[in-house]
Amino acid sequence: MSASRERDVTRAFVELASSLANGYDVVELLSGLTADCAHLLDVASAGLLLADGRGVLHVMAASSERTRQLEVFQVQRADGPCRDCYLDGAPVSAPDLHEETDRWPQFAPAALKAGFVSVHALPMRLRNHVLGALGLFGTTAGSLSPDDLSLGQALADVASVALVQDKATTDQKTVNEQLQTALTSRIVLEQAKGVLAQQGSLPMEEAFTVLRHYARDNNLRLTAIAEAVVSRRLPAQQLLDRVRVRRP
Amino acid sequence: MVGGRRTYVAGVSRRGTVRLRSGIREAAISDDNRLRTALSEAMSGAGSALSAADLLCHACVELLQVDGASVSLTHEGSTQGTFGSSGEMSRQLDELQFTFGEGPCLDATRQGSPVLVADLDDPGENRWPAFAGALLRSGVNAVFALPVTIASQQIGALDLFRRRAGELRGAALAGGMLAAELAALPLLDLMSSDLDWDVAAQGGDGWEQLESLSRVEVYQATGMLIGALDIGPTEALVRLRAYAFSHGATAAETAWAIVEGRVSLEPREWLGPDGTTERPR
Repeated sequence: MSASRERDVTRAFVELASSLANGYDVVELLSGLTADCAHLLDVASAGLLLADGRGVLHVMAASSERTRQLEVFQVQRADGPCRDCYLDGAPVSAPDLHEETDRWPQFAPAALKAGFVSVHALPMRLRNHVLGALGLFGTTAGSLSPDDLSLGQALADVASVALVQDKATTDQKTVNEQLQTALTSRIVLEQAKGVLAQQGSLPMEEAFTVLRHYARDNNLRLTAIAEAVVSRRLPAQQLLDRVRVRRP
Repeated sequence: MVGGRRTYVAGVSRRGTVRLRSGIREAAISDDNRLRTALSEAMSGAGSALSAADLLCHACVELLQVDGASVSLTHEGSTQGTFGSSGEMSRQLDELQFTFGEGPCLDATRQGSPVLVADLDDPGENRWPAFAGALLRSGVNAVFALPVTIASQQIGALDLFRRRAGELRGAALAGGMLAAELAALPLLDLMSSDLDWDVAAQGGDGWEQLESLSRVEVYQATGMLIGALDIGPTEALVRLRAYAFSHGATAAETAWAIVEGRVSLEPREWLGPDGTTERPR
């Protein structure tokens, strides 16, 4: 491991540990974690998929907020490596998606069309529960190194811990409720992105940046800001003005 | 095997390893699939949103070992009340909650999680004195209220009534949760004053519709409608769905068109000529 990479890995874990110790917004933390994956591992994009009470996978966080890229993650409701990984609770590797169109007739063509060639999926586990999967997408064919895979799994494990806040719980009902709360936060975030994109004529990923900056500048949780925007308690214009002033 | 599910033969996966856990999971999934299909099929062919809700309630009685079922709309700003039921008795009992202003359906909606009462006659059970008394006098000893949620919003509840005291568990509880998900569709239709039911009835399988409504691009497009029309998230979803039906498209297709700027979001086109068209809030 090169010295600079080692520093990056250390910094990522120090930041995660500090968020976990000091209280955190689950959407913000998991978005940061997928960004860490994309940066630290030999992949182009990373996404976290969480299962709801029925076992349907939803996008919880992704390293890119580009809508078409989020689409590649969510298309795995029907088939795909993250879905298999979730159902089996074990890693799934697909070094070349060109060879997987029989295995995943819906997912493989969609991912290839979006420019992805390889996928590695790692399970998000918490004791005896499988919560979802971390998908790591590459734009070239090939397998991830064992080092990258174990680092990716460590990041997925942190994500699982962050999601289930009541650490002592072994009750499936409580786990499901906490996952549902996280998924609800993500829905509201997507809606808030839409409000800002429409009001400010912005692409969705920039709308996300505006929300994030506003939350940070005001020391508020991303989820709370998103809720205030969607319920129209906080005018979208106020966020747009503030961020424009900040970045002329 | 139902579309897209992975195939396991006698607990052995394609990769040849024995996966007992997958086998058990597959058994549960196939039970789940049976209920999913039966509940969704029960609603197909309905002539109106009200009859779709009624048919769903009948299916609950048939499949979930309960004696009555009803669906109510509790979304703030909508005309609240009981809309679908398995019969007159269930409808009347359910409506009492709105008369008394108390009951499991209202609680389930407020808290966003199921309210399950295995024995209304239990001395410790005193949450709804008036409503529980009325249920007991009608011979109902257990009541289960499951919230109906769409895109993070609580819009109503499915109430299941049973004469026999005891918990709702296993497949009956799982089936109740599935029915509560499906109940979102007729409730959304009821909230849409300008939705043409004949078109809506051709919207296809209920699960496909729900899947289409729970996609990232739909949430984003809903947000854009909130911004453009100054309406709440539920109304925005109702309007997106009505627009999709009237254009012969799925919710997800319509959402893509909105997100990519291919659909005008001019209020006069979405809310009527003067922007004051009667609309659910």
